[in-house]
Amino acid sequence: MIELEALQEVDSGVRALGGRILAISPQLEKYARSVHRKLNLTFDILTDLHFTTAEQFGLVFGLPDYLRELYVSFGTRLDVFHDESEYRLPMSARYIIDSSSIIRAADVNADYTIRPEPSDTLRLLRELRPLTPPLHKVQS
Amino acid sequence: MSSLKDRLEEFKRTFESGAPPYNATREAVATMHRATAELKASGIESAALKVGDRAPDFSLFNQDHVRVTSTDLLRERPLVVSFFRGHW
Repeated sequence: MIELEALQEVDSGVRALGGRILAISPQLEKYARSVHRKLNLTFDILTDLHFTTAEQFGLVFGLPDYLRELYVSFGTRLDVFHDESEYRLPMSARYIIDSSSIIRAADVNADYTIRPEPSDTLRLLRELRPLTPPLHKVQS
Repeated sequence: MSSLKDRLEEFKRTFESGAPPYNATREAVATMHRATAELKASGIESAALKVGDRAPDFSLFNQDHVRVTSTDLLRERPLVVSFFRGHW
């Protein structure tokens, strides 16, 4: 919630640079819709059902039994939110992907309370240049 | 507006103090710290995609059940993609 609000603050700046923000989570669409409306977001929240995409980015982990028990005691029913019996989560991650599908910035943290500043992401996007051409061209 | 770091630290302080609305017990906080430390120690972060890697294509539904396809968007623009755990 806190990070989405902070990303919203740079959304117009990202769009001005021709970019687009996408937030991705494993929660079902109805939960994504609820938070999207609550925060009045102008970027999309996508539902990564059963972690298909997060798996490809190498971000998914299963919760150990003791943590699962704690979540259940909090009423945090990941099985309901994700429509699967397993308790899994993605690590928090923020990527900048250029128009050639190459990852140009990556910030992945197993501690979800440590996140990069959206203003830094905006700066990196502003400074984004095409990748360096092959070496022989640079030298010529 | 305060930095995201400050806001996250404020959240963490409130949560770990046991204050409402979370009312987390000391035991619960310790359990969460243990889980985060174990996850870090597992080396999972280094297995995630990094700068220079090719990003996988994806095609997912947004909050209004409209399909969003990364390759359609990437044709014209860079993307900032944020993975998060959801709100519950």
